[in-house]
Formats: sequence, C-alpha cells, structure tokens
Amino acid sequence: MRKEGLTYEDVLRIVELVKTTPFSEFRLKVGEIEVHLKRRNGAGGAPAVHGQPAAQTEAAAPARAAERSFAADAVLVRAPMVGTFYRAPAPGAEPFVEIGGHVDPDTTVCIIEVMKLMNSIAAETRGVVTEIPVANGARVEPGDVLMVIEPQPEDG
Amino acid sequence: MKKAPGTKRFDFVDVTLRDAHQCLWSTRMTTAMMTPILGAIDRAGYAFINILGGAVFDVCVRYLHENPWERVKLLCERLETPCDALTRGQSLYTFELFPDDIVELNSAVFAKLGVDVLTVYDALNDNRNVESSIGSGHDVGMKVNAMMTYTLSPVHTDAYYVARTKELVKLKADFIAIKDPTGLLTPERGRTLFPAVVKAAGSVPLKLHSHCQSGLAPEVYEIAIRSGFRYGYTASRPLANGASLPATEDIGARARKLGFRTSLDPAALREIAGYFTCVAEREGKPLGEIARYDAALYEHQIPGGMISNLRSQLQAMGMEHRLPEILEEVPRVRKDLGYPIAVSPFAQYIVTQATLNVVQGERYKTIPDEVRKYAMGYYGRLAAQPSDEFLERAAIRPGDLVTERPGEHIEPWIPRLRKELGPSVPDEDLLLAAFYPRALLEPLKKRAPQYEFRTTPLNELIRFIGSRGDIEFARVRFAGTDMSFTA
Repeated sequence: MRKEGLTYEDVLRIVELVKTTPFSEFRLKVGEIEVHLKRRNGAGGAPAVHGQPAAQTEAAAPARAAERSFAADAVLVRAPMVGTFYRAPAPGAEPFVEIGGHVDPDTTVCIIEVMKLMNSIAAETRGVVTEIPVANGARVEPGDVLMVIEPQPEDG
Repeated sequence: MKKAPGTKRFDFVDVTLRDAHQCLWSTRMTTAMMTPILGAIDRAGYAFINILGGAVFDVCVRYLHENPWERVKLLCERLETPCDALTRGQSLYTFELFPDDIVELNSAVFAKLGVDVLTVYDALNDNRNVESSIGSGHDVGMKVNAMMTYTLSPVHTDAYYVARTKELVKLKADFIAIKDPTGLLTPERGRTLFPAVVKAAGSVPLKLHSHCQSGLAPEVYEIAIRSGFRYGYTASRPLANGASLPATEDIGARARKLGFRTSLDPAALREIAGYFTCVAEREGKPLGEIARYDAALYEHQIPGGMISNLRSQLQAMGMEHRLPEILEEVPRVRKDLGYPIAVSPFAQYIVTQATLNVVQGERYKTIPDEVRKYAMGYYGRLAAQPSDEFLERAAIRPGDLVTERPGEHIEPWIPRLRKELGPSVPDEDLLLAAFYPRALLEPLKKRAPQYEFRTTPLNELIRFIGSRGDIEFARVRFAGTDMSFTA
C-alpha cells in the first residue's frame, strides 16, 4: 500500500477542529500533505450538514457567472464537487441514462469520481433528460451542469 | 505452524457489520459503508464475521432498499474469514412462524451464497424452534451455532440453561452461545452459570454474546474466558459499548492479560476503528459510549427504546402520568405470563398487557390475541406455567394448549409460492416473496451503487470535507496531486 503520511488519528484531529473551532480559514501541513479550508462567511462553528452535499450544489449556482442559459423550467443536475464525470457505472457498461430517458428522483444519472471515490449523482427530480452538456470522462468543477431534465408532474 | 503446547486461545466474532450498528445506528449501516474497510476486517484476525441478523435483513428491505441477499453474497465473496449469519429460527427474520420448507430453503440459500456458520436462536429458548434450522443447516454443509437467550427470573436458573445446553448438544450444534440481549449478565452470575454450561456442553465450544447496557459486560467476558468459553462476540471500538457489545480491543487486551493467545492484529483494528469513526462523523451517527451501571435495568428489564416509545404513546393519550404505575405492573404481568424473555416480540406483549391492565383499571379485562396465543403455546413452550388468574381471564382451558412443535402446525408454502411466481423463480426471490408483500420488494430492483473496496485516511478526510455544507473552499495537496473544491 502507498505510504501516505496521514493517519486516521490525524484525520480525526482535523475533523474535530473543523467541527469545534470557529475558523474562517484553516491550513494544515502534515509531511507532504497540505490541507487548506475556508469556511463560508458567518458560518463559524455552525453545525455540520450531513449526508449528500445538496446544499452546496444550490449555493454554487449563483457563484458561476459565465454560464449559458437553459429553459426556464428545466431542472439542472450540477456537479457537487470537482472530479471526473462518468455516464456509466463501469467502463464499457451501459450509460445510466440517455437523452430522452425518463428519470425518477432517486435515479442515478452519472458518477463523479474523486480520488477513485465514485459519487453517484441522483436526478432528484422526476422527468425526461433533454441534454447532457458534459462529455464522458471530462473533468468537472463544482456547479457545472451535468444533466438537463424537463420535469414531469407526479401523475402519469 | 505448530501451536505451543498448553497455550490457551480465545477468539473473536466480529459484530461491527451487524449487531453493533443495529444497537447504535438503528441498523442503518449500508453496504457502501462496509466495503471500503472489508480488507482490514479480514486482516484483523477474527475467527468469524457476523454479517446478517433479523433486523439487518428487515432494514435492508424496508429502509435501505438494498437486496439483503446481494449484501450477503458480496460480503461472503469479499471476506476470506468465515461468515456467520443469524436467524430467529422458525421465525427467520420476522416474528411470525414459517413452515419448515421455508426454513430449509433459507439454509440452502445461505450455503449457496457462501455463509459458513448459521447462528440460530429462539426467543422462548424452545429448542424445537431451532431443530429445522440445525438439521437443514447441516444438510447443506454449514456449521450451526445455537444460542440460548439469557434473562433474569426465578425459573431461568443455572439448571434451566444446563438443560437447554444438553438439548443443543443432542441436536448436534457445532457451537453453543449465550446471548444476553439486554446486558443483564453480571460477573457474579457468570461465575456459576458459565462453568455449569461449559461442563454440560462437553466438547462443543462456547461463545458469549453480551451487550453493554449495564457497563458490566467486559467483566462478564473475563469470567467467560476464565470459565472456558472459546469465543466472544465484539465490535470495533467506535461501534462498541452503550447498547452494543464490548470493544474487540478491550476484550483482546483482557484475554491476553489472562494468559490467552488471540489472533488479533492491532494495526488492522486501529484502521477499522479510524475508518468507522470517520463514517460516523460524515453520516452524523453516534459513537458507542461506555454505559454506567444502572440498577433500574434489572427491575423491569424492558429495553430503553421501548420505554421511550411507550412514553410518547401515553403522552399522545394524555396519560403520561400513568407510566410509573405501568412500569410497576410490568414485572407482575411477566410473572403471570410465565416469565417470557423481555425481547421482541415478547417485550411488546408484556408492555402492552401492562398498559391495558393499568389504563382499563382492571387486570386482564382485555387480552390481545397474540398474548393469548403465546400463553396457549402457539409460539413455543413457556418457561413457566401462566398464573391461574391470567388463564381464567383468558379463558384458556387445558384442551386449548398447543403441545406440538410450532413448525408442525404450518403447511408448506413453497408449492403455493412456486405456482404464483413461476417455476423459474430464483430461491432468493421466492424467500423474499415469502417474507414481504410485493410492493415492498419493488425498490430492491434498482441497480446497486458502484462499491469502493479500498480507502485511505486521506480519502475519508476528503469525503468528510465534502459532507460539510459550511466549507466554501477546500484545497488538498499531496504527492504531486493538487485538488481544490469550491462550493
């Protein structure tokens, strides 16, 4: 196994600091590893938001100005983190969805890979995929639009 | 390797993937939370890894929408350490009784998926309810570990457990375990009970499975080790203690101090503990805390979760002030019912009957159907005769009593299910259809996520940072890689 220089004890110490100190900026260097964090304004010591970082996706939207426009009622699935965009669960496998495909809120539409960690991204809405603006295997930034979904009402 | 002569061993059964999160995380550990650390669990030196139990199976289906068979298959494939799966005997994963053909098919599916040890118990300690599991488990080549449930009552004496042990030896159990689901065992009781059971078990090795509600479990394990028990069920430290089982790290240290050899690998145990602490932080799950000794635990024996449930129900009816009266009625009802063990579903029977007795102002004015059926022996043999007062109010006459083995009075189900589902239905799907209504099984058809089979502390740090809503920028640099996140 590759030597990393960071142990679980170190990680838990960082976790504890992130949770308990009202920092606005945090820098740490352990061996060859450097961690640099900035906290949202006024969020010092705020309670953790657990689970999937959906809130981040929302917040990221206005921050990105140079974004093309989509249909007003379209629901946009955005990248919650930096990483590599994959349309299929494994190389050579069928894509999760195609344009024109129907999705439910819990349908996985793509994967964002970060450091070999696969993060399944759910549609979070019911509808039909009308556009997939990102190419398979492309690097994405937080807030990038991955899928455009035309919402459909609950009833069918 | 040749073992040093005269060296005594004590070995461990891991419950981190099963009972530990059942007790501390409401059974909500997903397969995706398990897979990254399976390699370390395999290296930790456990003799067995318990991967399934009634609640795990049920929560997989109802709440996690995971197919439990797929989890069992994946864990058995990935883990080289022998895997142990637990059922409630004739009730399998639920609290109703199933016919023998379903119990037998379940054993066959276990063996096919790679389960090495079938662990089985009956909440009444009526060993006729584990016969079909032991027999069918052996038929398909599994070892069978039969558990006896511990409780406190005037009839649950050492002699009572010795008699149950002898029954299990006769049924050819490969292991016998004492299961103490509410942490009622004390070192004092262990000093008489454990040697008696070890003696009665003869050459069959014993395992101890005791929870930590009273804070006494580590001492109780020490007595078990000294008395000749071969195995202890334990959990990784962050998921140990509290309502869970003791920490592997702690019991390992005690065993070594007593001069026993263990196969535990401290580096792997540290990695597992670090990983699960990170998962708890990311998912907002509690860590197990060492419980303080609480004498009240021994009075009513009702699990804490059930009391808080009852309190909120009484609150809704504006009768919260009757709770102390109800808790006083609980031991009387338990006695009237022949000392059922205060575990599901019998704990619910006791509490419901006690509540009715108090709220209606007259004892046994109303008797729920299940309580009556239980008292008639429908679910199995009672530990003691119900009181005359109860039998009279319930209008149970000697002719009403069920004396045959409970599995006996249920017709086979498989012919009907095969007819409904078609001849080519896989055994796994047939069993799920036997346990659950079809609508509950629909969500299980979704594709399983891509599982990660390795991780590092750095990965877990990044995943933690990613789970925080309050971090707007993160940059992590190491070994020529430079990553940044902006929210």
